[in-house]
Amino acid sequence: MSKYETGHPGEGCLLQYNDGELRSREARRVERHLEACWQCRAALDELRKTVADCVHYRQTVLDRYLPPPPRPWADLYEEFARVDAAEAEVGWAKRLARIFAAPRNWRWAAATLATAAILCAVYLEFRKAPSVHAAELLKKAVAIADAQPKAARHIRIRTRTHQIARLIDGGNLQSAHQGADAPAIEALFAAAHYDWNDPLSARSFQAWRDGLPNKRDEVTTVADPERPSESCYKIQTVAESGELADASLTLRATDLHPIGSRLEFRDREWVELTEIPEPSMSGIPFNEHLEVPVRPADPSLPAAATPREPASISDELQVMNALHQIGADLGDPVDVTRSGGRVLVSGVGIPPRRQKQIHELLAAMPRVELQFADPRAVAAPAEPDAGAHIVPPANPTAVGSVQARLERQVGGRAEMERIGTQILDWNESAMARAYALRSLAERFPAGAEASLQPSGRDTLNEMAREHAAAMLRHVEAIDGAMSPMLSALGGSAAPAHAGTRDDTWQTSAENVYRAARRVEVLLSVVWGATPGDTASADLPSALLTALQQLKAELEDCQRLLSRNAGG
Amino acid sequence: MSGPSIGNAVVGILRQERAHPALQDQVAKLFEESRQDVYRYLLTLGLPPPRAQEAVQEVFLRLYSTLKSGESIENPRGWVFRVAHNHGLKVRARYASEEPFDPAIESRLVATGQDPEESLLERERMTRFQRAIEGLSEQQKRCVFLRLEGLRYPEIGSTLGISASAVGEFLRRAVSHLRKAGHE
Repeated sequence: MSKYETGHPGEGCLLQYNDGELRSREARRVERHLEACWQCRAALDELRKTVADCVHYRQTVLDRYLPPPPRPWADLYEEFARVDAAEAEVGWAKRLARIFAAPRNWRWAAATLATAAILCAVYLEFRKAPSVHAAELLKKAVAIADAQPKAARHIRIRTRTHQIARLIDGGNLQSAHQGADAPAIEALFAAAHYDWNDPLSARSFQAWRDGLPNKRDEVTTVADPERPSESCYKIQTVAESGELADASLTLRATDLHPIGSRLEFRDREWVELTEIPEPSMSGIPFNEHLEVPVRPADPSLPAAATPREPASISDELQVMNALHQIGADLGDPVDVTRSGGRVLVSGVGIPPRRQKQIHELLAAMPRVELQFADPRAVAAPAEPDAGAHIVPPANPTAVGSVQARLERQVGGRAEMERIGTQILDWNESAMARAYALRSLAERFPAGAEASLQPSGRDTLNEMAREHAAAMLRHVEAIDGAMSPMLSALGGSAAPAHAGTRDDTWQTSAENVYRAARRVEVLLSVVWGATPGDTASADLPSALLTALQQLKAELEDCQRLLSRNAGG
Repeated sequence: MSGPSIGNAVVGILRQERAHPALQDQVAKLFEESRQDVYRYLLTLGLPPPRAQEAVQEVFLRLYSTLKSGESIENPRGWVFRVAHNHGLKVRARYASEEPFDPAIESRLVATGQDPEESLLERERMTRFQRAIEGLSEQQKRCVFLRLEGLRYPEIGSTLGISASAVGEFLRRAVSHLRKAGHE
């Protein structure tokens, strides 16, 4: 049954339909509903009238009544020349340095050095700002904590291999809850001069930080992992000496209450402390030894690496693999980039539950930072942009005749609706795989792949193979359903040929993506949701050929991936 | 080597920089086509006309630098609006002490056209619409103005730092508000 047979599409849905922002399947549903519903057609007409009013307003009011530019527009070519010259100066800085370094140019060199010294001083002055900010924040947080009665609270302490929950009562750890791992963790804290009795507090962090001779602070705003619509301050302090190399403390922005902390030691150990909200406590047993829900160590990371080293491509691969395990690489608006020495996992408009799931999955990984933003986003996950803009068919008669013949062939409108929905569902799943496969290929090109450790290469290969295999299953399902119908309409497939035999799987993944897009567009044309330039009579053959081409590309990609795995 | 000879050396080095005529033509063409739209958008953002004009030029020069550095931009017009929006907000914040630009459109609306009755009705309609636009929230207004410039939902979302679905919701509310105003 059509989604709208018992109800009407909302105003937002109609607006998105009018703007060509609905995905093909949804656009088709709306279109069919509109064919039958006077009320919604009238609502759409009203909406189009308002859009026309907006356009009219822009043309008659904004264009006419906003003041014109006060000066004639500059000749951009002259400005281009200035940009070129300025950039050339930067690019040739080294050669200029050689000129200044000549023995007779010492006066020029001295002047340059003096300028550089001033710039350094300005830079250092600005660098001081986060330290001051960090100190002030900590001072305020300590004052707030001191002013409040000491309430008992539970904290979760997680290390590379274990997770325990503890009760802190008035700043003292309850010895009854200390398990077998506690002495080892306590020893780490003692060596780092970090207060074990009150490990998750602004005071302990402040005391450790104040004892450092040389440190570097960074204060950022991050989303509250428990309540993503609220924000927190994250103070991160890097120590140049001492057992503890790097520590961060997360304070709730509203009351500067510490909710999390992460300590990274120089011997690669790390400890993560999180406050457990009271209602959650019932489900967390004390002293339970749990496996960390991610692979405990980076298999691709060279043994000499330390947590303070900048994130590597292996870290990025590990994050991608973790997201892959929960299907977050199949359409979730999650972005993974390497930035500032960390793997930054960011997302906009991700529902809170999904954010939490990703947070739990990645929180234990070193050098990974999560930034989920946009409390204004609606709860529904953003769908991946299919690329095609859905507008009414350009040649409705031609496309309509294919649809009419299809409809007769399958035995009526209802059956056509059912088959069409199923095929578009398969296509959606196939496209999600195509995007994911292409993303892996772009993220880890052949050169980067070669730089990975063997285990990293295996992980990458396995992910790509999974995407290719799943995609092939969807494409075969589409082919199985469409081929008899298209053949009955007189269509026949031209011979398919995959990309050159010497290609890498990364190049092949791009070919797969292109072939998949071709199939998607033709499917949309056949099912009447997108205009197409393929003449009506050619559509069945074009789609059959595109499907065979996509299968050939996928098989070629799988062959290259198997060759890689074998090598 | 003396001072002037160093200057000559520097000039010589700078002259070796290759020109990018095709790229310059591409950016200059887009500048000509879109500068008025970007300028108008920046005015609606509250920038005074001189600042808005400077900002437009700055944005297109950034586009040139970015393309020159080899970065690929799929939709330069969308990119220009995104950068113009962010740059415009910075300029607005930097010159916050200056009088914010108020186009005072409503007071300047005049009846035009040959048929006096028709032009009066048109003026009333536009006044009502102008008031309705002013009644929109800032985000709704941004979404409407950017959509009027031809940006798609994901591009608007990327400009404003919100999701495409949130853009859809802002636009829905805006259109609903404007429609009601049209019926008043």
